[in-house]
Formats: sequence, C-alpha cells, structure tokens
Amino acid sequence: MEQDWTVKSKLTRFLYRHRGIEGIVYVLPFAALWGVFLAWPVGYGIYLSLFEWNPIKGSRFVGLENYVALFRDVRFLNALANTFKFAAMAVPLILGLGLLFALMLWSWGRTCRGAGFVQAVLFFPYLLTVSTVAITWKWMFDPDFGLVTHAFKALKVPAPVFLTEPAWALPAIAFATAWWLSGYRMVVFQAGLGDIPQELFEVASIDGARFRHKFLHIILPLLKPALLFSLVLTIISAFRTFGQVLMMTEGGPGRSTEVLALYLYWTAFEYFKIGKAAASGVVLLALTLILTLIGVKLLGLKSELQ
Amino acid sequence: MTKLKAWAPYLVMYAMAFLWVIPTLWVAETAFKPNPDIFSIPPKWVPSRLTTAHIAQLFASWPFGRWLLNSLILASLVTAGSLFVSTLAAFSFARLQWRGRDAAFLTILVFMLLPMEVSVIPLYFMMIRFRLLNTIYGAALPMIALPIGVFLLRQFFLNIPRDLDDAARIDGCSSLGVLIRVIIPNAIPVFAAYGMYIFNYAWNEFFWSLICLRSPQKVTLPVGLRLIQGAFEINYGLITSAAFMASLPSLIVFLILRQRIIRGIALSSGIKG
Repeated sequence: MEQDWTVKSKLTRFLYRHRGIEGIVYVLPFAALWGVFLAWPVGYGIYLSLFEWNPIKGSRFVGLENYVALFRDVRFLNALANTFKFAAMAVPLILGLGLLFALMLWSWGRTCRGAGFVQAVLFFPYLLTVSTVAITWKWMFDPDFGLVTHAFKALKVPAPVFLTEPAWALPAIAFATAWWLSGYRMVVFQAGLGDIPQELFEVASIDGARFRHKFLHIILPLLKPALLFSLVLTIISAFRTFGQVLMMTEGGPGRSTEVLALYLYWTAFEYFKIGKAAASGVVLLALTLILTLIGVKLLGLKSELQ
Repeated sequence: MTKLKAWAPYLVMYAMAFLWVIPTLWVAETAFKPNPDIFSIPPKWVPSRLTTAHIAQLFASWPFGRWLLNSLILASLVTAGSLFVSTLAAFSFARLQWRGRDAAFLTILVFMLLPMEVSVIPLYFMMIRFRLLNTIYGAALPMIALPIGVFLLRQFFLNIPRDLDDAARIDGCSSLGVLIRVIIPNAIPVFAAYGMYIFNYAWNEFFWSLICLRSPQKVTLPVGLRLIQGAFEINYGLITSAAFMASLPSLIVFLILRQRIIRGIALSSGIKG
C-alpha cells in the first residue's frame, strides 16, 4: 500500500514537472493511428505514383511518366470529365433540394401538424447504406418493371432507358444520390435557419416585405456560411463518388458513368497498374486540396480554427 | 380560397414526403411479392399474396446474419476506438499546454477533408504486410483516427468553462482527473452526437471495406449486398429483400432515436456542414 502511494506520487510529480510531455502523451494514441493509417498511406501513395510497379521484376522509378500516361489516356480523361459532370449535376440537386425542404419545414413546420413526420421521411434515406440506395434505384429505373418506367408509361411519355442510355445514366445516378443525401443537408440548413433571429422577420413583415424579399435579404445572407460550407463539402464528396456508380452501372454504358474513383479501383485492383492508379489518386487528392483551400479562403475558416 | 390556402402547406409537405418514401416502399413491397407479381406488366400494385420466400432464400444461400454481425462489430470497434483516442487528443488540444501543439493540430486538420481514395492502394499493401487483409481489424483501423472527431470534440471542450478545471485542480485533480470528472460528464451530448455520426459512417463505409474484405464470410453488409447483386443481376425479389433487411436495423434505430440523431447533426453542423 505504502509502496503504491510513493509510486503514484512520483508519477504525479514527474508529470507535473514535465507537463509538456503530458500533453503529448494524451495525443499519442490518436497520433499513432492517424500517422500509420492516414498520413503515411497518403505520402506512400504519392511515392508509388512515381514508380512502375512490378512484383516479379521489381519496381522501377519512372518519375512523372505515370502522370504523362494518365493525361494521354482517353479513359482517364473521360473519367475526369465524368467526375466534373457528376458533381455539376449532383451538387446543385442535393443543396437545392436540401434548402427547399429546410425552407418548407421552417416556414410551415410550426403551424402544421406532422411536420416532424415529414422531416423524418425526407431525412431517412441518408441513413441507408450506399448499396441499398443503388439497389433501390436500379430497381426503380428497371427498363421493364421499374416504377419510374411504369410512371412514364402511365403518362404516355416514352420512357428513356435510364441506366443503359449513355446520356441518361449519369443524371439518373445523380438523382439517386440527391434522394440519398439531401435530407442531411436539410437538417443542416434547418439548424442554420433556426439561428436567424426572429425579430428580423418581424421587422421585415411590418415593413411589408414579401417572402421573396425576406429570402433574398435576410435568409440568404445569414445562411451564407452554412451554404458555402455545405457547397465545398458536397463537391468534395461528389468527387469521391464510387459505390452508387459501381453498383448501378459499373461505369457503363460504354464508359459514360466511369468516374475517377471507379477508374482508380479498376486500374489498381483489376489491371494491377499500381503506379498509374496511385497517380490518379494523387490527381483526386490535388483536386480535393484545391477545393479545400478555396473553401478555407471563402469561409475564412482559418480564423475559426485558431 | 382561404381554405385552400390553409391546406396548401399540408398538401405540398405530404406530397413531398410521399414522393420521397415511394422508392423505399416499392423496395419493401417487392421484397415480399411473389415473382410473377414482381415481373408483371402492367404492375401489380397490390400483390396477390405476400411471401417470405425471398427472405428465406436470402438466409439460405448467403451468410446474411454473419454480415450483420460483421457490420455491428466493425461499427462498434470504430466507434469505441474513435471516441477513446479522439477524446484524449481533443482534451490535450483544448486544455493542456505543450510545445508544437497548435502546429500539430493544424497538421491533423489539413487531413480532415482528404479523400480516403488516395490511400487505399498503400493501405492494401500495408494490410497484406500486417496480415490484416480480409479481417475486420484491417477494415476498422483506418477509420478510427478521424480528424473530424478531434476537431468536433475539441471545439466542444473549449466551451466548457475553464473555471471548472481550475477548481478541480485546486482540489487535487490531475489532468486525467479533470478529464474524467469535469470534461467527460459535461460533454455527454457531443459524445452521443459524434458516436452516432461515426457509427453510421462505419456501418455504411463501402470503398475500403470492398477492397479489404475478401471472403464472403468476412464482409460487412454493404459489401455483402454487392456480392448478392454480382451473383444474380436480375433476381429482384432476392436483391430487394436483401436491401430491405439491410436497412431494417437503421430504420429501427432511427424510429427510436430520431430526435437525438437529428439534433446531433444540428449540433455538429456548424463544424461539419
């Protein structure tokens, strides 16, 4: 017992004298895992992108050759273009629907019964796993028996064969993604709307402002930080889209839905062109980094972090 | 006219909700429809009878229960691990002084938004070397030290009054004592919020799990669904019943914790967007 006490007090005294070390000790478990499984692989990925990988003959340093090959590869350029196209479709849909839902629930939620239920229904798809979302929409878009096809037939409009027509496949996947994710944005925007002081609207109402004016002059400016933040994060997540595409179209028809992450996956794990795949990962990384920096600049995030 | 005006909000809201829930209902219905009803033109809205044959076939031909368990283990490991290491680190960043602290924090933050896709290839080779490929640990480890956790928890810890720490220290608490007696009890809501976020994240993670988990016995639910889909492209009864069964746990948890989940997102939205 006595022994124990001395050890403990010695330890306390040691820690007290070396408080600088104590702080590091607390960070250590996180830093170790983070270093090994997050930071190091990113660095190693950049390193790998400079080599031609060959498990039998040994890898060969090729410098930037992989990148040159990448930008000469029609398939990669197509994947890059598809990634941008997908983001251009999915991001406005996700944010637009999220904002629309948030405004709807915010303006009517307090007076209408069942708003909580509506919110729950709109939010729920977010909790589904990407595989479920893909299966759901593949079935919805089925050219013979899908509900969307039936709906078109009922309206006597010729139904596009959504997932097997090159022009329609990517928009269809973007739509499914919006169904999946816009509920999450809705909740974020609802929180932002809730923070706007009620008095502003009361004053505006006394001045006879219509909803359009309130929206343009109160809601949009005050919601701007939340909107910009969501915009950056949604673009980044759109750039990383993988599961929906793999499961709904496998990149087809043709290569009309092959996005960057899917290209990386095929190149690395189907064709084992490790260097080239790593290089395409670095391109994805660079794009994300640029966007993050733009976001930081736009949002003045830096001051918030200090 | 006024009557219509009063009803319009309800109409719009419920119409929207109805449109949004259709895909889920359609999948749930398909899961219990007999095959002739699934593949009928015109569609049979009301199935001639309900069948559990697809679900029986699902459990007979796939280790579906095993997948559920794997997902549960993975998500629990990640959640517990992440809460543990992030809490310690966030406490240090928020409350302890040490040289290089702010630089270290910024370095971690830079990685907050970096895509995992960059690192899957190195991770794959790493897991082979560590003999962790095709194990739940290999799938879980890269998800534990998420910078977002440290960021979120630190932000919250900063808002806990410092006077509480000082009082505890005067009473003889060590740093660990302050963490356990002051910080943790005051941060339960944010632990709940982040815990739910990270659990959902791990439960749904697809890209790395698909690469890391190889044998049908080892995979998690999202990857398992991919296996089924790859095996029977057109067996919609089976595949929708799998999708339905896979979303059942989320639905049940959501029905119980709805308010908490949504409030948790609102709570962390200032940070995560």
